[in-house]
Amino acid sequence: MENALLIGLSRQMALSHQMDVVANNMANLNTPGYKSESLKFEEFIMPVAEFQDMGTPTKSVSYVLDARVVRNFVEGPLNATGNPLDVAISGSGWFAIQTPAGERYTRDGHFTLNNEGNLVTAEGHQVLGDGGPINFGPEEADFVVAGDGTVSSSDGEKGKLKIVNFDDLRQLQKEGGNLYSSTAAGQTMENPRVAQGYVENSNVVAVSEMARMIEVTRSYISTARSIERLADLKKQAVNDLADLRA
Amino acid sequence: MKALQIAATGMMAQQLNVEVISHNIANMRTSGYKRVRPEFQDLLYQNIRQPGANSSESGTILPSGIQVGLGVKTASTYRIMTQGDMTNTEKQLDMAIRGEGFFQIQLPDGQTAYTRSGAFSLDANGQLVTQEGYQVEPSITVPANARQITVNASGEVLVSVDGQTAPTSAGTLQLARFVNKAGLEAIGDNLFLETPASGSPSTGTPNADGVGSILQSFLESSNVNAVSEISDLIAAQRAYEMNARVISAADEMMSATSQLR
Repeated sequence: MENALLIGLSRQMALSHQMDVVANNMANLNTPGYKSESLKFEEFIMPVAEFQDMGTPTKSVSYVLDARVVRNFVEGPLNATGNPLDVAISGSGWFAIQTPAGERYTRDGHFTLNNEGNLVTAEGHQVLGDGGPINFGPEEADFVVAGDGTVSSSDGEKGKLKIVNFDDLRQLQKEGGNLYSSTAAGQTMENPRVAQGYVENSNVVAVSEMARMIEVTRSYISTARSIERLADLKKQAVNDLADLRA
Repeated sequence: MKALQIAATGMMAQQLNVEVISHNIANMRTSGYKRVRPEFQDLLYQNIRQPGANSSESGTILPSGIQVGLGVKTASTYRIMTQGDMTNTEKQLDMAIRGEGFFQIQLPDGQTAYTRSGAFSLDANGQLVTQEGYQVEPSITVPANARQITVNASGEVLVSVDGQTAPTSAGTLQLARFVNKAGLEAIGDNLFLETPASGSPSTGTPNADGVGSILQSFLESSNVNAVSEISDLIAAQRAYEMNARVISAADEMMSATSQLR
């Protein structure tokens, strides 16, 4: 009977992790380039002492284990901002960003210029082109990002945005700040498709997150109820067994 | 339960979003105003199970682990410096910049501020000043007997004086340009200050070397787009409500735990 309590507890712990993941999706409903996540559970079979000679063999006990976070890399909707330095990737690909910790990747194409005229992210990290960072002079105007990622201004061509792709997107690890890190190097895409004046919105679908949230809450409460019933059962057993009849 | 704090970061971010949008809408009719957009980023991640960790002795690795994010943060409020519409005011001292550049304004403390709003007037000494009475740099003085003031595209202020046929020049406006104009610091009154992020200004004569031209009797309206602001407002409001629902759901789960006997 103790097993039932512990199994209920494992379920509750997994559900509370799931709730954290849902809350993080909800909090990032308006974060550009954010990719929604969900938690996958696994059955963990507890090895118990088995005795096969009885009529029915001993049943093994299975617990719930939260095994992995699965990311949904579906493209988010494009949001028109009218800002010439906002770039969205249509289809697959990631912008390469130079950070002090090494190269990082993002789908958030909200870029600005810094005081030296370099194209940077909102955090000030340089956006990489095929020949290094992209730089504009103070007298230049009319920034144009062509459909294949080529950046030009009134001064002529400035380079092409480095957009990389990965064979296995599961290698990417979230770093916060809309950045991802990767252990394996990605391949630079020859013909990416980008849109200027747009930012890719978060791909969180509010309705399904809401539904999942309700599901998590209800499962959690029902598990709590069954733990309660078990406690009642135990209490009753103790009372009944200890009842001495004269 | 981290869900409570995570949803709280979401609510705070959306609250800031609504504040920025309401500021944009409030300044819809402010000349030279440039709209602001908040930029959000996901917060740090907690690695509960490291992806890529060994899952067996034979070298198999976990293809994905458990990374739980801790919410959202505001990275910046970014000013979108696109050109606003031109409105004809028929006032001869109103000026708009078509293209790049900022008017330079001398603040009372000696600092130079920058503005896109060219609603100027003359003070008692005939000097060109802003609505606050701050001097325009380089200082331009219009003689008291001036009949007509003309500002050409190159920023030259030409004054027709009684008794003279040819107009005389009262000076030329200079415009300042920045590498990163989105990095300027707004100080209210339609004015901006130079920051380390904006870079130092380079001044130039209007209508030359990529500096914009001057349009007399026009004002640049704000570049706020009412439709996009309202749709952003609706999205922000809904996102706020959903985060509030997450908090009440997390609360319900915690109350289920606390009611266990």
